[in-house]
Amino acid sequence: METHLLEDFAKRKRAKFFRQQTFFLVMVIIVLSALFGFLNPRFLSQGNLLAVFQQIAVLGIATMSMTLLLISGGIDLSIGSMIGLSGVVICKMVMGGYATLPAVVIGFLLPVGCGLVNGIIVSKSKCIPLIVTLGMNYVYYGLALVISQGLFLSLKGKFTFLGRGRLGGVPISVVVLFVVVIAIHFLLRNTKFGRRLVVMGGNEQVAFLSGINVDRLKIANYTFSGALIGLASLVLVSRLGNILANAGEGYELRALASAIIGGVTFEGGRGSVLGAFLGVVLLGIVQNGLNILNVSSYFQTFTIGLIIVIAVVVSNLEKVRKT
Amino acid sequence: MQPVIVAEKVTKSFPGVQALKGVSLALSPGEIHCVVGENGAGKSTLIKILSGFLRPDSGTIAVNGRTFPYLTPHVAQSLGIQAIYQENILVPQMSVAENIFAGCEIASRLGIVNHRETLRRARTIMDSLGVTLPVEERVENLSVAEQQLVKIARAIAFEPRVLILDEPTAMFNVKETRMVLGLVESLAQRGIGIIYISHRLEEILTIAHYITVLRDGSQVACHHHRMERVDMNTLTREMAGKAVSAFQRSKASIEGEVILEVRDFRLTPQDDPLSLVLHRGEILGIAGLIGSGRTEIFQTLFGLWKKWSGEVWIKEKRVSLHSPQDAIRHGLGYITEDRQRTGLALGLSVAKNVTIPSLDDQFQGFFFPLREEYRIVEKYVEGLDIKTPSLEQEVRFLSGGNQQKVILARWLLKDAEIIIFDEPTIGIDVNAKGEIHRLIADLARQGKSVILISSENPELLALCDRILVVRHGKVVRELVGEEMNEENIISSAFGVTSDGDSSSIF
Repeated sequence: METHLLEDFAKRKRAKFFRQQTFFLVMVIIVLSALFGFLNPRFLSQGNLLAVFQQIAVLGIATMSMTLLLISGGIDLSIGSMIGLSGVVICKMVMGGYATLPAVVIGFLLPVGCGLVNGIIVSKSKCIPLIVTLGMNYVYYGLALVISQGLFLSLKGKFTFLGRGRLGGVPISVVVLFVVVIAIHFLLRNTKFGRRLVVMGGNEQVAFLSGINVDRLKIANYTFSGALIGLASLVLVSRLGNILANAGEGYELRALASAIIGGVTFEGGRGSVLGAFLGVVLLGIVQNGLNILNVSSYFQTFTIGLIIVIAVVVSNLEKVRKT
Repeated sequence: MQPVIVAEKVTKSFPGVQALKGVSLALSPGEIHCVVGENGAGKSTLIKILSGFLRPDSGTIAVNGRTFPYLTPHVAQSLGIQAIYQENILVPQMSVAENIFAGCEIASRLGIVNHRETLRRARTIMDSLGVTLPVEERVENLSVAEQQLVKIARAIAFEPRVLILDEPTAMFNVKETRMVLGLVESLAQRGIGIIYISHRLEEILTIAHYITVLRDGSQVACHHHRMERVDMNTLTREMAGKAVSAFQRSKASIEGEVILEVRDFRLTPQDDPLSLVLHRGEILGIAGLIGSGRTEIFQTLFGLWKKWSGEVWIKEKRVSLHSPQDAIRHGLGYITEDRQRTGLALGLSVAKNVTIPSLDDQFQGFFFPLREEYRIVEKYVEGLDIKTPSLEQEVRFLSGGNQQKVILARWLLKDAEIIIFDEPTIGIDVNAKGEIHRLIADLARQGKSVILISSENPELLALCDRILVVRHGKVVRELVGEEMNEENIISSAFGVTSDGDSSSIF
C-alpha cells in the first residue's frame, strides 16, 4: 500500500499524456513541419529551424509572462505597450548620450514598474484585470508616444549581443528563451510561489481561506510577469536596433493566443508551461513555413487566425462532449 | 369545494437521501395551507415537485381534477400554479412594470413592447393588491420587502389558481411582515389557493387554515388549524425526532483547559454581545436555523469580516484575527458549508488541495520536491481513508464525503487546534456521514477542539458536549447534559417560550 498510489499516479500520468492537448500539439507540429519540409526542403535546415526559434524568442518570453498571469486567474493586455515603452526609453537614453548599461537597466526596470502598478490596481480595486490592463495599455502606449514624439528611435548600433549575438552557433535570444521556459516550468511546478499561483487561479476563495495573502500574491505575480516583459523588450530592441512606440503592438494578443492554443484557460488554474511553449512554436512554424513558401503576409494573418480558432475549438471538444 | 391541487403519496429520493416519503396534501381555492419543518425536512422538495421543477419518484399530482404523474414548469404554469422562491428572480436594472411582465411582454404583433399599456396593467395589478409602488421605478432601488411585493405581483399577473410562497418574509421586519401576511390573506379571499412555507411559527399560526408538518421527508401531521387551534409546542414537538444517525459519541466532561474564549463579540453595533468558551478536546455545537447568523459569527471569528467589537483569547492570550492568515497562525481551521465553492479548488488535484496552507511548514526554502509532497499527503489519504484513484486526481471527481475528507486532511496537516465545521455533512450520503462523525469525534479525543455548526440536530446531539442555540445573531440558549434534546434545540431556535407562546415579533 505504501507505494501503491505513487506508482498508480505515474501510470495514469503516462496514459493521460496521450489524451492531452500537449500531445495533440506535438503531433500537429510534427505533421506541419513534415509538410513544409516536403514542399521546401530548406525549411528543415538547421539554419532555418534556429531562425524559427529566433523569430519566436520575444513572443515566447511574453507568452511565459501571460501564462503565469492566466494560470493565476489574471491577464495583462498592456504587455505590448510595455515593450514599446521600454524600447523607446532605451533608445532615447542611448541617443541622448547615456551609456548602454544604465539605459538597458532602466529599460528592463520600466516594465517591472508597469507590472507592479497593474498588480496594485487589479488587487486593490478588485476590478476585472481584463479591463484594467486594457486601459493601462493605452496609458503606457501614450507615454511611449510622448517620450518618442512618435519618431523612429535608434540604438545607434549598440547593444546587439542579446538579439543578434550567437553562442557556439546558437542565437543568444534562443538560449534566453529556453532558459526562461525551463525556469517558468519549474517555478509553477516546484516552488511555493508557483503553487500558490495555481491554487489562486483554481479558486481564489480557497486560497484566501487557506491563509494566502491573495492581494500580495497578485502584485508579486504582475511584477514578476513585468520583469519577463522587460526581458522580452530587451531582446526585441537589441534585435531590431531601432524602435517605434508601437513596436510591441499585438504581442499581448499573440501571447494570449499562444497560451490558449497550448491549453491554458481564461478561468485559471489550468494549463502547462510546456503547452504554452508548444503554442508559440506552432505559430512560429506556421509563419516561417508560409514565408518560405512565399505565401503573402495577408494570407498568413488569415491562416494564423484560423489556427487559433481551430485549436481552441478542438481543445474544447472534450468539454462539450462531457456536458 | 373541489380541491384545486391534490398531491397523493409523493416520494422523491436523491442519491443517498430519501427527501420525501409519501407526502399527501390537498388545497382548495381560498385556503392557506402552511408547511413547516426543520431545515432539510423536505419542504423545498415538495414545492419544487408541485411547481414542476422536480419529478417525483412515485405518487400523483392532480390539478383541477386531472391527474398527472409529474409536472413540468411549463405545464404547472399553464395550469395556474405559480411559485415564488427565496432566490431573486427579478432583473434589478428593469422597472417594476417590466419585471412583472418579463417573459409575457405586452407587445404588438411585430414584437414591439407597448410601454404605456405595460405600465397601466402593472398599476392595475398593484392597485388590486392594495399596494402603492411606483411601477416605473427600477427594482434595484426598492427595499427587499418591496421587491418581494413585486415578485408576488409578477405571480399574480399570471392569474394563478395556486400560489406557492417559500419563506416570503425571511428577511423582513415586523411591519413588512404584517404587510405581506395581510396581502397573502387578501389573495386567499380572492379564491387563490396558497401554499405557504415559513420558519416563523408565529406567522403560520396567524394565517394558516391547514398546517402540514414534515420531518425527515415524512408527513408527521396535517392539522386543520381553524378547527383545532394548534399551538407552538405541538408543532415543535412534531418537528423534532428526526432519525438518529448510527454514530453516538460518549460525552466528555467540559472542564479543563480553555483553548478559545470570545468575549462581548459583536458583528455590528446593533448586535447583542456574544461570549463563548471552548475547552481542549471539546466539541461545541452551534444550532440555529439557516439565516440565524450562526455562519456569520464564525466567519467573522476566522477573520473573513470585520467585527464591530469584542475580544478573542486563545490559550489565555489575547489575539486579534484580522484575516484568515491570522486565524490560521493561531491554530484555527475553517471548513466552510459550501465545499464546492469555497472549500475546494475543484479543478486541482487532491494533493494540491491538501497542502495549500501548509507549504511553509512542510518545506524550507523556495523549491519543494513533488515526491516529498505526495509522501506527506499520502499519509493523510490513507489515514482518513480517502477514496481516490491517485493523488493527482482532480477533486471534482470525488464523492461528497471524500471531498470533505480532503478538506479535513488540509487542516490536519496544518495541525489546526481549533477546527470549525460548518454543515460538514450537507449533501453527503448516510454512510459517509457516519464516517465524518467518527472522524470529528476522533479529533476531540486527540485533544483538538471542535466547533460544529449544524442544522442536523441529531448530528449535534450525537457529537457535542455542549450546544449553543443561535437565533437572530445571538446565543439564546446553552444546552448542557440532560437539557440536550431535540425539542429544546428546536424551541429555542424557533423562539418558542416554555408556555408555548411566541417570544417574538407580534
